[in-house]
Amino acid sequence: MTTRRDFLRQSLLGTAGLTVLGGLATSAEAATAAKGPVKLTILHTNDMHSRIEPFPDNGGQWAGLGGMARRAALIKDIRSKEANVLLLDSGDIFQGTPYFNFFGGELEYKLMSQMSYDASTLGNHDFDNGLEGLQRQLPNATFPFLVANYDFSKTPMAGKIAPYKVFEKQGIRIGVFGLGIELAGLVADKNFGATVYLDPVAKARETAAQLRGPEKCDLVICLSHLGYKYQNAKIDDCKLAAQVSGIDLILGGHTHTFMDAPEPIASPDGRSTLINQVGWSGINLGRLDYEFSPKTKRGGLASASVVPVTAAC
Amino acid sequence: MRLSRFRVPVLGLLTLLGSCQRVAYVSKASFAPVTSQPVGKTQPEDPAVAAIIAPYHDKVTSQMQEVLGTAPVALVKAAGESPLSNFVADLQRARASQVLGQPVPLGVMTNGGLRSGFAAGPVTLGSVFELMPFENELVVLDAPGPVVQQLFEFAAKVKMAVSGATYAVTFDGFPKDIRIGDQPFDINQDRTWAIAISDYLAGGGDNMVFFKTLTPRPTNVLLRTAIADHIRALTKSGQPVTAKVEGRVKQ
Repeated sequence: MTTRRDFLRQSLLGTAGLTVLGGLATSAEAATAAKGPVKLTILHTNDMHSRIEPFPDNGGQWAGLGGMARRAALIKDIRSKEANVLLLDSGDIFQGTPYFNFFGGELEYKLMSQMSYDASTLGNHDFDNGLEGLQRQLPNATFPFLVANYDFSKTPMAGKIAPYKVFEKQGIRIGVFGLGIELAGLVADKNFGATVYLDPVAKARETAAQLRGPEKCDLVICLSHLGYKYQNAKIDDCKLAAQVSGIDLILGGHTHTFMDAPEPIASPDGRSTLINQVGWSGINLGRLDYEFSPKTKRGGLASASVVPVTAAC
Repeated sequence: MRLSRFRVPVLGLLTLLGSCQRVAYVSKASFAPVTSQPVGKTQPEDPAVAAIIAPYHDKVTSQMQEVLGTAPVALVKAAGESPLSNFVADLQRARASQVLGQPVPLGVMTNGGLRSGFAAGPVTLGSVFELMPFENELVVLDAPGPVVQQLFEFAAKVKMAVSGATYAVTFDGFPKDIRIGDQPFDINQDRTWAIAISDYLAGGGDNMVFFKTLTPRPTNVLLRTAIADHIRALTKSGQPVTAKVEGRVKQ
């Protein structure tokens, strides 16, 4: 099997280049030995559904869990220990408690900004107050909303939503892009207006290629609100991972799936794409740690497991 | 010695790659023992974030105390025809009819769809949230005769009332003498009957699977909003919040 790096070497440099890159790899490894590998901590949430405060103590299954002030403290604690942190969300920030009914999402965005979220995508419920309602709240968010498969060009949101953003941490380039679910049937027509839903698979291929290629990303993350897995033909994160190469990690949402560990799915080029989703309502904060070392081949997965946070902090 | 060994290849690379000088990195995921960290009670709050929340919390609390109307007697959930379900199903029908600008002959709300009743006394916005905590939207289904028949068969089993209609229940639990808006219901009539209902029930919730084949027409009104608006309108016109069991289901 030809790896991406092998392909790059062969196509760009030909046989003569192999020696050259080989030498570079050796020198880069020498440099690494001095500095150590670069660490990246990815923290993520999905479907927080306006759960500003913890579920009430008489609130059934999730009584006493969640709460944005607690999450902020947990994130702050992690930031104090880790140099490189990306904080991401997979949509459906809006709707679910009176905070949304009364303030239209203002507080949700302000608190996420206070926590220094780096990016989010849009979920179907983020359209619950229409495009106007969503647009009105955007100034409260200091982070971008990324969606590669909604065409907003004929709406008031035109120019306000980017398909992807590249983050750089100690020389590591991380490409983050978003994918939204089909809105028709899920969101009232008047609430999404002239937003055009585009095929997520085609847009994911295009965006991943852009991030892997011209944008030279070392890690590609998809913030997806497609949903984890459906029994029918509807596109989901599992199908996406199996059909699109070049995505390292899909941080999912919509289905409120509690995953004990990220699920690896083989993408068409044989590499593994991880899927993770952490329930809903901010009951959990997802955490994945990556290490980057300059090498000519992509390393394999180390391990994945779950431990309760209550014990960890 | 080591330096001189590397110098040539690196220089060569610069020449060859031009602007593409970045070192290619490889990622290795090494997960902390926790990939999903519960945000529980042992986690203290961030005081800065708690301070941002506080004024919003106070506003929500005070708005929840807004009195929308008054109920002289409690509106409760009950088996069979229930005053609370009658109250909500009737206002659903009225609101849907107003939004769509056409008559809506039927309205459906199950007991399970309403989480708690109104106590006697002031009805607050908080009470409406307790009654309808779900983000259910009011929708309209256009049901042909056979689906309407299935609705009444479903209703007859639990003697549930249907707003806009009356019927009787046979000894073996089947509906008979169904009248919709005073007209006898004929399953073979070539028409549809509009039903004001929540999107949840329209989607087959509470085992109303027979609705799943129909495509709901949206009203873009949350059921909770419809309830609160109706109570405000009652108060404005000097009327109390009341509902009664009035024989929609005949024994």
